[in-house]
Amino acid sequence: MSEIKECDLPGIGKKFTLELDSDDKLVVVIHSSGEREVFKFVKDNDEPTSVTTLTDEEARQIGAILSGTYFQPVIEEEQKLAMKNVTMEWIKIEFNSTLANKKIEELDVRKKTGVTITTIIRGETVIPNPPSTEIIRPQDTIIIIGSNEQVKNFISTFEIKSSIENDRQ
Amino acid sequence: MIVNESIVSLGISLLALFFAGFLATRVNQSLTAVFIVVGMILQNFFPVTIITEFIATLGIIFMLFMFGLEFSVGSLFNNQRKIFYTGICDLLFNFPLGLFLGWLLGYDLMQTLLLAGIIYVTSSVIVAKSIIDLKRSANPETEYLLNILIFEDMFIATFLAFIVGIINYGHIDAKGTFFVMAKTSAFFLFFIILSKTSKKFKFIDKVIDIEHTELFVILILSIIVLSAGTAAQIGLSEAIGAFLAGLLLSETKQRHRITEAISPFQQFSTAIFFVAFGMSIDYKHVISLIPMGIFIFIISSFSKAFGGYFIGKKYALSKRASLRLGFSLIPRGEFSIILAGVIAMNPNVPYPLKALTGIYVLLCAVLGSIIMKESDLFIKWFIEKKTSE
Repeated sequence: MSEIKECDLPGIGKKFTLELDSDDKLVVVIHSSGEREVFKFVKDNDEPTSVTTLTDEEARQIGAILSGTYFQPVIEEEQKLAMKNVTMEWIKIEFNSTLANKKIEELDVRKKTGVTITTIIRGETVIPNPPSTEIIRPQDTIIIIGSNEQVKNFISTFEIKSSIENDRQ
Repeated sequence: MIVNESIVSLGISLLALFFAGFLATRVNQSLTAVFIVVGMILQNFFPVTIITEFIATLGIIFMLFMFGLEFSVGSLFNNQRKIFYTGICDLLFNFPLGLFLGWLLGYDLMQTLLLAGIIYVTSSVIVAKSIIDLKRSANPETEYLLNILIFEDMFIATFLAFIVGIINYGHIDAKGTFFVMAKTSAFFLFFIILSKTSKKFKFIDKVIDIEHTELFVILILSIIVLSAGTAAQIGLSEAIGAFLAGLLLSETKQRHRITEAISPFQQFSTAIFFVAFGMSIDYKHVISLIPMGIFIFIISSFSKAFGGYFIGKKYALSKRASLRLGFSLIPRGEFSIILAGVIAMNPNVPYPLKALTGIYVLLCAVLGSIIMKESDLFIKWFIEKKTSE
């Protein structure tokens, strides 16, 4: 967290300086009239490279956007955290696969390995949450989800040779 | 009827001010300078009337009141060390120069002191406006610049009270100086105590908390005019009374409302004050004083710029920022004219200093704001010259 420097500008307003990680500086001047000016100073330069003037209302809108109350993005780091112990795997079914031409319930995937088959991709059609009566066919691609252990277990149990993790978008 | 004629000439003055001011804003020039020029031209057509003179007096009072009202006592106390140090540096670089010039010109002590004050004080109005226009409010040198201006305004307000006290006393001697100083301090002290106690018990807040717009304006006007009048009665400048009234009211919650209510009066009467000042400058004097005005402008610009540069360097600003600080201090304006004008209004002392101040302020206001705006060109030139040496 960087430190915010505060400074009075008598007769004009108040100045807030934020040193960014990039060594640039962002300076906000709040005028007594309510107008805000946002200046960017590139490293070691004492003249601003850009100035933006905002009215009181515009400044509040921008402020809401920046603080994330206007629209809350899912921050990448949180996503990684959630996915830390979970793996999704794309598996192509070969003609000689032990999985081929069998119903999902027949294979007992969940009980044997803990993994769930979430999707079957068959040519152009996609079957999300396939019913347990669905038959897996050769040339299908299945998407499985489970903990790292469970996925490894799945791959060894069913002797999968090719997973196509690297092809996924 | 003298009153009818006065009103017609007042109307003509205002119209002339409008057109001149309109053109001036087109080329981004200081209104102060233009208003003085308008006054200088208008003196050929009609004399300064009693009405103009009266409004001009109100102009000084309202201007100083606004200064007080917008003066930030809070930041004066928060940054007092920085303000004091930068302010003293600036004072030492420029005030003695005025004393020296006065001595060189063979002025008496009073005129010398006035000249020193006129040369010393930078126009906070012109500078603050230029900072905003030129988008320099975030620059590193700006906070030092504003600190210097606070010190100057405070110093010159006290100086004004003192010098007018001396003029009213008649001459400078040890007894008179002591007497005037005691009176000035007592007057300041009275307002400081009033302000402090009011801050505690909020009684001024309660007194001026009036919903009715018309009554509110009348009450505020009465406070301003009474303070100014009291100061004049005890032999100090009415301007300083108004300034202290402004300081007093700046601590209240109604500050914003007061500014709104008084601004139109202030703008009108201040404009007339500048016109009256221009009208009182004698043409014959002016022409012979132009070389002297230019001379003083050049050396006082150097002392300001050098002082600013020195302060900037002392606070570890870059060479560029320090030079910008120095150049920004060059514009002079309203306070210099008030100093000269207060004297001009006193019929006992017809000083030639007035015409010189007129020229000087015109040069400083016009050229000063151009220098401030184009300071990058000067700085580039200066730095390139330095590095090529």
